[in-house]
This record gives sequence, structure tokens and C-alpha cells, in this order.
Amino acid sequence: MEKIKQNAIVKKIGFNRVVLMCVLILLYLLFALIAPMVKENANFVSFARILSLLKYAYFMGFLSLGVTFVIATGGIDFSIGPVMFCGALISGYLLTSKGWPLILCLVLCILVGTAFGVLNGVLVSYAGLPSFITSMASMMLAKGIGSVFTKTQSVNWPQADEPGGWFRNLIGVKIGATEIPTGLVLLLLASVICAVILNKTMAGRYILCIGSNREAVRLSGVNTKRWETLAYIICGTLAGMAAIFYVAKNTTVLPGLGDTFNNEAIAGCVMGGTSMTGGVASIGGTLIGVLIIALLQEGIMAMGFQINYQYIITGLIVLTVVYADLRSRNKRN
Amino acid sequence: MGDVILTMKGIDKSFPGVHALDHVDLEVRKGEVHALMGENGAGKSTLMKVLTGIYSKDSGTITYEGREVEFTNPREAQDAGIVIVHQELNMMGHLTVAQNIFIGREIMKGKLIDDKKMNEEAGKLFEQLGIDIDPKETMSRLTVGKQQMCEIAKAISHEAKVIIFDEPSAALTEAEIEELFKIIRDLRDKQLGIVYISHRMDEIKVITDRVTVMRDGGYVGTLITKDSTKDDIINMMVGRVIYEDPKTESAVPEDAPVVLKVEHLNAGRMVRDVSFELRKGEILGFSGLMGAGRTETARALFGADPKESGDVYVNGTKVEIKTPQDAVKCGIGYLSEDRKRYGIVVAKTIAENSTMASLENFMKGAFIDKKKENQAAQEYVDALKTKTPGVDQLVVNLSGGNQQKVVIAKWLVRNCDILIFDEPTRGIDVGAKSEIYQLMNELVAQGKSIIMISSEMTEILRMSDRIVVMCEGRKTGELDIAEATQERIMHAATLRD
Repeated sequence: MEKIKQNAIVKKIGFNRVVLMCVLILLYLLFALIAPMVKENANFVSFARILSLLKYAYFMGFLSLGVTFVIATGGIDFSIGPVMFCGALISGYLLTSKGWPLILCLVLCILVGTAFGVLNGVLVSYAGLPSFITSMASMMLAKGIGSVFTKTQSVNWPQADEPGGWFRNLIGVKIGATEIPTGLVLLLLASVICAVILNKTMAGRYILCIGSNREAVRLSGVNTKRWETLAYIICGTLAGMAAIFYVAKNTTVLPGLGDTFNNEAIAGCVMGGTSMTGGVASIGGTLIGVLIIALLQEGIMAMGFQINYQYIITGLIVLTVVYADLRSRNKRN
Repeated sequence: MGDVILTMKGIDKSFPGVHALDHVDLEVRKGEVHALMGENGAGKSTLMKVLTGIYSKDSGTITYEGREVEFTNPREAQDAGIVIVHQELNMMGHLTVAQNIFIGREIMKGKLIDDKKMNEEAGKLFEQLGIDIDPKETMSRLTVGKQQMCEIAKAISHEAKVIIFDEPSAALTEAEIEELFKIIRDLRDKQLGIVYISHRMDEIKVITDRVTVMRDGGYVGTLITKDSTKDDIINMMVGRVIYEDPKTESAVPEDAPVVLKVEHLNAGRMVRDVSFELRKGEILGFSGLMGAGRTETARALFGADPKESGDVYVNGTKVEIKTPQDAVKCGIGYLSEDRKRYGIVVAKTIAENSTMASLENFMKGAFIDKKKENQAAQEYVDALKTKTPGVDQLVVNLSGGNQQKVVIAKWLVRNCDILIFDEPTRGIDVGAKSEIYQLMNELVAQGKSIIMISSEMTEILRMSDRIVVMCEGRKTGELDIAEATQERIMHAATLRD
């Protein structure tokens, strides 16, 4: 065991990530084995399954990447799911009912997210409100505003073959009969950018340090409020981007929903080794965590069970991971 | 004095890097007040923490009421009748006096808390002790002295047989100390064993029967108070040459320019109209008792806490310092007394901590120049002789002295000219202490200026060129090192309104 930990490549990636990767692969094999036993004709090992799984992982991934920054500061953002929906509803409504150009609507999706990020960040950092309460409130705001804007109507984004449906190519381009998962490329690109921001820039350095010991950073003469706000803005903006990937997968956006996605996004982030107390964060871990969540969802569906089973399993996994994180932390001290 | 109630024999305890207790003995008899003396860091508190089960001992035996005991937590010690009255009061300010006294063992009436009965019981307790406190009063409205009395009442209500007073007089007025002594004498007459930890020599002579002296974690000896002189005790406490002699004259030239001038600084109850000057190349000592407002003054000056009024001049120019950012821009660095909370980010590396205050100088475009950062950190690891395998070591793995060096490095990397050292050697072992002193002397020789807040008299007298003494938020004295004596400082430090 120690030998594996000391291996140069393992060290570079991080032992936890390697374990997580193994969990992901084992889970896949497990579903591949069990799915046909539970449900006849359930063929889990197929390219179509993987594509479907990935499409879920795209928007979930953007949500999870964003919230990683906030959790790194020691805060939490429960508004990302509804913010994503709010963006999709507002710009979808303007697209379909008001005839706004598509490109403008896509940008608007992102801006709605950014706006909520600014709101959360300013309230938490400058007004000193607890992030838990603030994001709960803005979650309700996002739900309400989205619904009011569309007059409580659902919004249908154009299909791929309809005019203005080209944006669906963002997550997959069909060449002949095969579909190229372009979304994966974009998600990986976003992950790399996030990892660079978190690990190589001043913003990332201070965001992580604030999560570890805010007072020490402030007393070093650092503008902690500014950097903390930035974490929320990054989070909101990525939630806005998630909206685009959500509507590229699902056509219909219903008003007043979205909170279940918060929980899954945060779960993915925490599974990936980002500490809920702040200071420790891993973008790579978040990415794998999200893939595990998506795999669970796909696997449970393939076996013909209700989605609720996925919640139960995800809940149990999160508890296990957080407990393990706490234990290893206590051991170190 | 009656029979022996408590014996600690050959108590040994090590922490990583520090041998905190080295075969220490202590014997307490019924009906005696036993002083436990020693300088800060001598191991008195650690010994008491071992006794009450907060720390486990490595070796040695504790015999209490004739049988060997080992408590695993303070609760067990308390149930057996050994209680500590802490230096820092552990009171819940928003609860009433009676609620505080019975915390954890509330008197119940069925499923509900019986406040009326608790008030009655607390009242009886106070009557017994001859203390005039209303059990229904909210704790935070009492003076520190009265709160201390409540602590004592709480201790006694546990049917204590041994009571440990950990520097009980540190924050008390003369009148309150008198009242405290009266209670302690009463307790002694009731055949309780009392351990009294204090730095104040005069009190030791007045209140205690025997004195056990500790030094650097070791046991030095036990004396009978009335048969020994003050000098006997001091010699046992100091008895080593690791401390250099006090400075006899200021090393700062007469015409050294004033780099920092603070005028009429006010911030809350703890900083009242404080004015002082700091000159180039000077170490300005800030002395005073616990709660004198020295840290509060430093924090207000540094912009860490809001100030109400007062002017600050740096190099003759008036500056507005509202946040630590402003202070750092003015070239002021603050090294907190509580390193772990305010000084370092323990979960980050030495390199990351070293550049914390000056990261903008280590950027290559949008990215951190890791190589340059490591170089700078390494430079100061070498210069300050920080003991570490490398700059990528997490600070949590360093000893207290080396963590302090990382904090110093942080401000040196930033090139601050004015450094505020708040208790620079607290929690640092003796060897590392000397190194920190040497380093401070080198810094002022290079033309930096230092404000040093310290509660250790020897440290103040050894390091300072000039000494500001504070008491209850006011500046009550300013002495040149040439005229400073322990007595004069202490006199100013107890100069209350």
C-alpha cells in the first residue's frame, strides 16, 4: 500500500484520485454485470449508454466544477441548480417567445449565472452573511424569478433539426450514424482551465488559503473579500454555462425546479476530495466524482429502478466519503 | 498542614520536539496552599493538565487519597474532587450566574430545569463563601473579579478536595485579590488542598505555605514559604545562564528618526488614548499584565480591528490605516500572539506561507512563478535557519519556533520596515527562543524597527531599548531601558484609575 502511495505517477495524480478512478471503473463493471441479471435485455455495455451517461455528466460537471471553488473557500452554494434552470428559462423564453437571436440567449444563460454569483459573493463576503443561508435564499429567488419570467410556463428549446438547433452540436456531433461526444472535449477543457485557475493563479492560491485560515490571510494584508467574492462569481458563471449543456441535452425546462442538481453537484465535488471545511480542493477529483454520479444515475435507470434509488446510494456514498475525510484529518492532527 | 492528599511522582511528558515535563514531583497536603512557580513555559500548566486528565502522562505516578489514579478526562478528575479554576474564565456570558455554576449537572424538576432551585443553591454557596453576587445576574454583566469568584464557587460546589488556581490574580484589582485571599484562607481552614499558580512573588509570600519551583519542564525543589526569601525562590526559578543579562542602555542613537508615531489611539474599552513613537532601529517593548490592552492596541494600529479615533504617522506622513491591507502597504507587519489562528495557514507549505503577503511580486503574467517563489522561501529558510527538509513542507509539520520563523519570513519577503511582534516566543522552547532574540537583534541592526509585546519580564528587559507599559487600556508608563527595573514596570502595570 505504502509502495503504491510513493509511486511517482500516483503521487502526481494523488492517491485519492487513483482510488476514486478505481471506484469508477469497478462501479462500471458492477453495473455491466448486474444490469442484465436484474432486468432482461438490459445491455449496459454499449456506446449509446456511455453517450447518455456523458450527457448527464456535462451539465453536472460544470455545476460541480463551479461549486468546487466555493467549497474551497469553506463556503457552500445551494443555489447552482435553480440558477442553472433560471438561466435556461429566461433565455429560453426570450428565444422562443420573443424571438431573440440564439447566440444572445446562450450568452444570457451565462450572464444570469454570473449575476447570481455576484449576488451570493457580495452578500457572503462583504455583508458577512452565512453562505448556507445566502445560497438558500438565492435558490428561492432563482426558482421564483425563472417561473415569474416565463409566467409559470415550461420552455421548449429548439430540436437539433429545427432552425436554431445547432447549439445541440455542443454536446454531440453526428457524423453518419456515430455521434462524436464534443461535450466531453468542452468539459475537459473547462476542467483544465479550472485546474489552472485553482492551482496556478493568485485567485486560486488565495481562495484555497482563505478556506484554510481566513484570518491569517486577511492579516497578511490580502483583500480576502474580493477573492472570496470571485469564487462565488466563478461558481455562478459555470452554473450559467451548465444551463447551455442542460438545454442541449433536455429540450423542456420546467419552472420551479433544479434543487436536486445542487445536491448531486456538491456530492460529486465532495467525493472528489474537496473538503467541506475548505482549503483543500481537487478539480480532477470533482470530474471523477461527477462521472461516478452520472454512472450511478445511468446504471440505476438501466436496471429499471426508480431514480430515488440513486439518491439513496449517492447519499450513502457522500456520508462515507465525508466520514473518511474527517477520519484521515483527525489522524493527521 | 494535615495529611498528604495528592502526590505526583516522576511525571514525564513529551510532545513532538519538546520535552515538556521531565520527572516532576509535587506533593499537596490537606489544609495547605501550595504554590507552583516557574517562568512561562516552565511546565506548570502542563503538569496540571496531566493531573486533571487533559494530557496523558508518559511515565510517573499520581497518588490521590492514598491510591494510584489516572484520569482520562477533566470530568473524571472533577468527580474525584480535583478541580481547576482556570486563568481564562470558562463562562457562558449570556447565562445567569446560577446557570453557569450548575452547567452540565442542572438541577431538574421532572424533565424541566429547575432554575429557582439552582438560584437558591447558588445563593447558599455564595453565602458560605461570603461573596456578594446575585445568582440571577447575567454572567457577562459581572466584573472579571466577580466572574472569577463564580468560577471558585463552581469549583467548590463540586465538593472539591483539591483546588488548583491557575494565575487567578492576573486580571484582578487589589481589592478583588484581597477578597480572593480571604476565600482561599477559608478553604484552607476547611482542610482542602490548594495549588496556587502565580508569577507574583508578593502574593506567594502572603498566601502560600509551601512553594514548588519548576524550570524548563523539570522539578527544581520545594521550599517552606515562611523559611525562605524572595531571592531563594527567584534563584531557583531562573538558575540558569541561558538568558543574557538585561540590556543596560538603548542601542538606538539619539538622533534616530521616528518611523512610526501613534497619537491618541482609541479602540473600544481596551485601547484608551494611547500615544507613542517608534524610532528607526529600535525595539520598543510593550509590557503589562494580562488584559492590559497591548494586543488590542497593536491590532487597532494594524487595522485588524476597527479604531474609533487616533492619528498614525509613518515616516512623518499621516496615513489612514483601515484594514491590514493599508497597514501592509505602509510597511507594517504584524506577528500575532496566536500563530496558528492568525499567523500561518498550517495546511499550506512553507513557500506558500512565505509569499502570502507579497504574492503579486511572484507572478509571471497571470500565473504564480513557482520557481521564484521557492527560491525566495529557500533564501529565508537559510537565513532564519528554519529547520525543515524543504520549502514544500507543510507548515503544520514544523515546531512552534520554526512556525514563528515562517511568519517572520512572510514579513521579510514583503520587506516590511516596521514589525510588531506580539509575544514572539510564546509556546517556543528555550533553544529556539534565543534564536528568535538573535534574529530580532539582527533585524534592528539592519535598520528595521520592532514593537515587541511581551508578558515575560525577562524578555522585556533583555530585548527592549525603550518600554511602554499599559494597564487597562491606557499607557501608564514609558521607560528608557537604562532606568527600567522589574519593580518600576510592575508599578506602572498596576497603575489603575
